[in-house]
Amino acid sequence: MTVPEDRPDAVAPAGPDAVAPVAADGQWHRVHPLTPAIRSWQVFAVLLLYIGQDLVQNVLRGDLDVGAATEVTRVRGWALAGGGLIILLVAGGGATVVYLSWRFTRYRVTHDALELEHGVVSRRQRQAPLDRLQAVDIVQPLLARIIGLARLTLEVAGGGDSRIELAYLTETQARRLRNHLLASAAGVRYQTPEAPEAPEHLVFTVPVQRLLGALALSGASLWLGFGVVALVIGSVVTGHLGFAAGALPATLAVGSALWRQFSTGFGFRVATSPDGLRLRHGLLEQRTQTVPPGRVQAVRLSQPLLWRAAGWWRVQVNVAGYGRRGSERVEAGLLLPVGTRDEAVAVLSFVLPDLGVTDVEHPGPVVDAGLTGRLADGGFVPSPRRARWVDPIGWRRNGYRVTSTALLLRRGVLHRRLDVVPHARTQSCGATQGPLQRRLGLASFALHSTPGPVTPVVDHLATDVVARLLAEQVLRARHARATAGPERWMESPASSD
Amino acid sequence: MDSHPEVTSGTTSGSRENTPAGEPFDPVDVTWTRVSTKLATARRLTGLIGLVVPVAVVVVLAVFVGPVWWFGLIVPGVWAVWAWLLVGRQVRAIGYAEREDDLLVRRGIMWREIVVVPYGRLQYVDVEAGPVDRIFGIARVQLHTASASTDAVIPGLPPAEAARVRDRLAARGQARLAGL
Repeated sequence: MTVPEDRPDAVAPAGPDAVAPVAADGQWHRVHPLTPAIRSWQVFAVLLLYIGQDLVQNVLRGDLDVGAATEVTRVRGWALAGGGLIILLVAGGGATVVYLSWRFTRYRVTHDALELEHGVVSRRQRQAPLDRLQAVDIVQPLLARIIGLARLTLEVAGGGDSRIELAYLTETQARRLRNHLLASAAGVRYQTPEAPEAPEHLVFTVPVQRLLGALALSGASLWLGFGVVALVIGSVVTGHLGFAAGALPATLAVGSALWRQFSTGFGFRVATSPDGLRLRHGLLEQRTQTVPPGRVQAVRLSQPLLWRAAGWWRVQVNVAGYGRRGSERVEAGLLLPVGTRDEAVAVLSFVLPDLGVTDVEHPGPVVDAGLTGRLADGGFVPSPRRARWVDPIGWRRNGYRVTSTALLLRRGVLHRRLDVVPHARTQSCGATQGPLQRRLGLASFALHSTPGPVTPVVDHLATDVVARLLAEQVLRARHARATAGPERWMESPASSD
Repeated sequence: MDSHPEVTSGTTSGSRENTPAGEPFDPVDVTWTRVSTKLATARRLTGLIGLVVPVAVVVVLAVFVGPVWWFGLIVPGVWAVWAWLLVGRQVRAIGYAEREDDLLVRRGIMWREIVVVPYGRLQYVDVEAGPVDRIFGIARVQLHTASASTDAVIPGLPPAEAARVRDRLAARGQARLAGL
């Protein structure tokens, strides 16, 4: 265990009043001194609540016990004092641990990498090469937002958990650092002391009415509605509230899931910039995401049955690194919680500008066929008619279409889905076949993408079609990778190695 | 390592059109390598270990409650015979093939699966051998790409062959490694 150097020249102060240093100075910095308070505010809140409750109870009891035997009050007093002491000790210990962990956390930014060192007992150092950068998020939980702090998370694709999280920085620091990281990752060498901020161009926002409408038309709200009705009927019929109490947890869980979706999708705005697509959203916890070009591994446009009348679509993506955290994974991959068809198609064209459709001058018909088409519309290769025996409803929608840059997979009659995977992002692929499929000469095809909400598969294709697809897709993927653009997206392809 | 192209004989039913691509689970010009038959023995042993508890329960019941319970042995017995035969077929259905630029892994008789993993997409390769595997001298090789859904496992390789496959994959992966 080594103690970090404490010389004032080695560790620049990170306070809000200090002159913020140029991002890539190669010096060690500490995160903001208020970090421990923000990180552990829940603990403090619980502690305060506990003490408060104790006090109130004590006062109430004290009022009631006026004139009672002194022996009892003395014993109670000792017990209270002991309890208070334990609370103080625990709080003090916790505060020390939190302080030490802040003290031992430091980061350094150079032109090519970001380094983070943390851990009191066992020191851990993590270095992220910036040309492997997949996405940069600035996250502001409510409390941090009030104080003006932000958390910067950086995804570099690696095996396992490869994210680096800098918590907390001031808003300006976080933005400045993000600009530097993105500029370095893009291959831009700037001469100014600060990285230039990429100009944003707001494309559209998601109105709150539409978000509410979309949530009201989601499966979760239907379940919530059923649940509430069942609760009311159940308690009326049985005449007591035991039934209601039993069904309450499930109802609460669905309600909180809905709330979560609402608070993440609130104020959703989509902007484009040279650094890639920039999203900002969140009611309490605000998140600003930047997905650089070429980092999107797969895109899904989907439409649940109930959204069809309104013509709404959802857009999700797989980005390497986003999928590693269970609870955050779906919302992190959300590019558009609910949008019109045009908006969804626009978002698709931002993240995958070249769909590689050559036979028509406009990719519109192909995407349209993927969204709502059936059978061989738009050049899709559909399931053969015999697939109706295993998939009586959906067989007309199953299908795929190969373009020169991507594979489009289409499925779902009720819940429509269109998955787009660029050839250069294909990891591996596979096929499966059950006994019924085998009798009918069918097989299912799957592309394997990085973990995330998009799982590109297409069921019940003819076996010979799957065989050809398996053989050719691997070749296409290899060819696309060989000719793919540079990892540093602002560099010309020639100058990259 | 010897190849067993006859592994897949008789699996072309259902394919009506006769195209050069043929069957997805048996591409033309691919020679499959089968895994060691010791894997079947290892799996049978593991299965038998799992049978010990139910058989013991039935025997105890038969001894202490009544001889009718001896009939209870029919269920695990039939299951054991069926699993015994099935495991052999399943193991024979597992195959892998190293091609110029990718590795193919296939398995399953009723539910068939094939995975194609390009060498350039390999992130790392695991070789592991559990206690039962070690008794029989076999190991399993697992291929990892950036995708968690790449389910490419070759079980039941002799350790020397497993090491050879691993090194070969690593070398080929390095030569063809590209960005994500």
